[in-house]
Amino acid sequence: MPNSQQVTLDLTSTSYRDNCDRLRYLEEKQRELCALSQNILTSLGIGAKMAIDECQYQFRMSRWNCSTFGNTTTIFGGVLSVKSREAAYVHAVSAAGIAYTVTRACSRGELNECSCDSRVRSRKPKGKWQWGGCSEDIHFGEKFSRDFVDSHENRDTADGLMNLHNNEAGRRSIRSRMQRVCKCHGMSGSCSVRVCWRKLPPFRQVGDALSARYEGASHVKMVDKKRRRIKKLRAVSRDYKQPNKTDLVFLEESPDYCERNETMGVLGTRGRLCNRTSMGPDGCRLLCCGRGYQTRVRDVEEKCHCRFVWCCDVKCDTCRYKKEEHICN
Amino acid sequence: MHGAILENLSGRKLAVLISLLLICQVVCFLIGGLVAPTPASAENWLATKCRHRENDTRKWLYPRGEGHCDSIDSLDIYRSIDPDRRKEAISQEYLKANELVFALQIPLPRNNMTLDYSRWQQNLIGVLQFDIAYYSDAERDPDDAWKHYASSVEERMLQCTMTNKEEGFHYNCSIIPFFELGSLHHDFYLLNIRLPVDAVKKTNQGLGHLEDIWLVAINQNGGFTKVWVSLKTIFFPFIIGIMIWFWKRVHQLSRSPALLEYMLLFLGVTLTFLNMPLEYLTLAFDMPFMLLLGDIRQGIFYAALLSFWLVFAGEHLMIRDGVDSNSLRAYWKHLSAVVIGCLSLFIFDMCERGVQLRNPFYSIWVTDLGTNLALTFIILAGISAGVYFLFLSYMIWKVFCNISAKRTVLPSMSSARRLHYEGVIYRFKFLMLATLLCAAMTVIGFILGQVSEGRWKWDDDLELEFTSAFFTGVYGMWNIYIFALIVLYAPSHKQWPSESEHRGSTNEEIEFSRLPTDPSEMSSLTAFARKSAMD
Repeated sequence: MPNSQQVTLDLTSTSYRDNCDRLRYLEEKQRELCALSQNILTSLGIGAKMAIDECQYQFRMSRWNCSTFGNTTTIFGGVLSVKSREAAYVHAVSAAGIAYTVTRACSRGELNECSCDSRVRSRKPKGKWQWGGCSEDIHFGEKFSRDFVDSHENRDTADGLMNLHNNEAGRRSIRSRMQRVCKCHGMSGSCSVRVCWRKLPPFRQVGDALSARYEGASHVKMVDKKRRRIKKLRAVSRDYKQPNKTDLVFLEESPDYCERNETMGVLGTRGRLCNRTSMGPDGCRLLCCGRGYQTRVRDVEEKCHCRFVWCCDVKCDTCRYKKEEHICN
Repeated sequence: MHGAILENLSGRKLAVLISLLLICQVVCFLIGGLVAPTPASAENWLATKCRHRENDTRKWLYPRGEGHCDSIDSLDIYRSIDPDRRKEAISQEYLKANELVFALQIPLPRNNMTLDYSRWQQNLIGVLQFDIAYYSDAERDPDDAWKHYASSVEERMLQCTMTNKEEGFHYNCSIIPFFELGSLHHDFYLLNIRLPVDAVKKTNQGLGHLEDIWLVAINQNGGFTKVWVSLKTIFFPFIIGIMIWFWKRVHQLSRSPALLEYMLLFLGVTLTFLNMPLEYLTLAFDMPFMLLLGDIRQGIFYAALLSFWLVFAGEHLMIRDGVDSNSLRAYWKHLSAVVIGCLSLFIFDMCERGVQLRNPFYSIWVTDLGTNLALTFIILAGISAGVYFLFLSYMIWKVFCNISAKRTVLPSMSSARRLHYEGVIYRFKFLMLATLLCAAMTVIGFILGQVSEGRWKWDDDLELEFTSAFFTGVYGMWNIYIFALIVLYAPSHKQWPSESEHRGSTNEEIEFSRLPTDPSEMSSLTAFARKSAMD
């Protein structure tokens, strides 16, 4: 389970250095990174929260709905101890979430630590920016995520390799979705001089992309090359496509999410609302695992015909209507 | 008789000179490619959302440092219809549009250092990007959300589209020109953007779920400016020196200077004006007109270069009688294309960058009238450019026709004269080739720069900054080209040996001296061309 998500739980604004020391589950390196500044801890918290929200949004229609448990040290319960597709998704989305928020924090000037190097020619480090500008913030975001999230993974175990692979896939899904925008500013505004930059995508787009990767995740096993002592992940069967760096990988098949399982932290689908007409995973047939469902009709009062008012208000009418709900047995 | 240096220079000397100039050219290219960084860099900065409870819009809000504003991380809680979140929003009081200020304090700190703008960075152009998310539950369905915003008294239109509507995704919004500062005189800049709502004036009414405002600040890179100004500083005295040398030589002659020589001098003067390293002054003084001045300097130089080509081709054509050919009046038809084109570009530039001297937030493109006006001038300039190239190609074609006509009578001439004419033709063609090569290199370099992402990599160690290399290369090329023209077209003091030996011995010689202008002091190339026109 990525430790980053635990940071959310104990966020207080007391002395952040003490705070970082108190977070015992952090590795030595993570504690160092955390103690860099107060804002890093905040960013990490926001990133983890955003990743969880995104996971819950993407899986709102599946048997496993990315449910969290606030009172345990492992946020997702024991689900992630199985090295399944779901664990792959959670790792990818949280690594991406941290890279994303750190990048944003850099762009907003909240982190003084954001670096300016990479691919800039300069003789003195001090005048780097004035000489040739800075690298994109996403480079620092990715680097930070790599340092922080990847630091406690063991490269010699299959689990560690899988997590590292998925973390990297998550980070790459941000970069590959950045949109390139250009502006001409040459003589009289002509295109003789043109400068381009890349725009950060909304995190929903990253979550969507990872969801698609989740659907096509590769089942892998670790292969140990004896001669060169390199451990690598390879597809379980030669017939399958070898995973590339942007694919998600998993080692074990997912557990049964239909029935409640306290030890695994699976809540089961009993009592979940389902969609009677859908043929997808949120349809009653699939979601209720064949146990059937009950239908209840109730009068509800809901906000409707909402209009958004800039900047920060939503004006709605109240509507009353009968609502039909289907609940899994 | 006296001729141009080009005609009297031996092949070996010419080769040495050309190879020296070529080495200079390669050096210019490599300086840009290996030393200089990219010409400009763009940085993405995210605006901090500040809440400003008082209604005083004159107050400035700082996102960082002492006395910084109350920042809001996300506007989501104010916009959700989820009852729990509504309660949270109510507990913090609703946020009114007039209280929301997007603040930017640029540049941002990096590596624990506070960055500041250096005056070497020359200019700053700001562009805004709006992140507007799509939510179906609380919105009409605007395919195009139009929006006005006021920053001093500014209006901008924002056009947003979305092909597949998916919740939480952002609209694909056009970038909004924000400001252009011609001089980067100060170290820090603070920007406050307010998007007030006014029901009467219908400002900001249909604005969607604006989540963030990004500012993209584009500035010239300090390193590029340093390399560029050094190049200018080197070229400046060279061109001045060669011009003085040239004009002295022309004045040593007994005749008055020819039109081509005036044109060469004029070309040299405009190049000197372009080379003048005025950028040094911006380090000490605030000169917001530098962007405009840079455009004007380049414009004048290109106008001079284009006119020179016309006159150069025309002087070797000689359809008219030689009497009034020594003045620019003969070329008014051709030159008017250059003048109209340059003038319309100048007017357009004054409308855009000239007005920006008074108000950096001004842009001609934001209003429909302004856009039409700007397009009119640009199209006019384009048409003039087309007409100009038609004229030029026609004239060059005529010159080559004349030359080939002369070629047919060459075998009947005496051997010395034939050698002379063949040399002249060869060197004229050589110069045409050089011009064509320079123009083609510029065009090819430009296209390559647009196609490649501005960075070429041959291997990991050698990385060539192509855009910068292109700029320094082209700049060096035109300097070297004009340097070479001035040197090679300066009047030579050397006697033409074969010519004087055989003087009077052939019919052509007599015919030659019957030309209206005194041939002895005329560039023999021109003389040849005139003669061929008479034939």
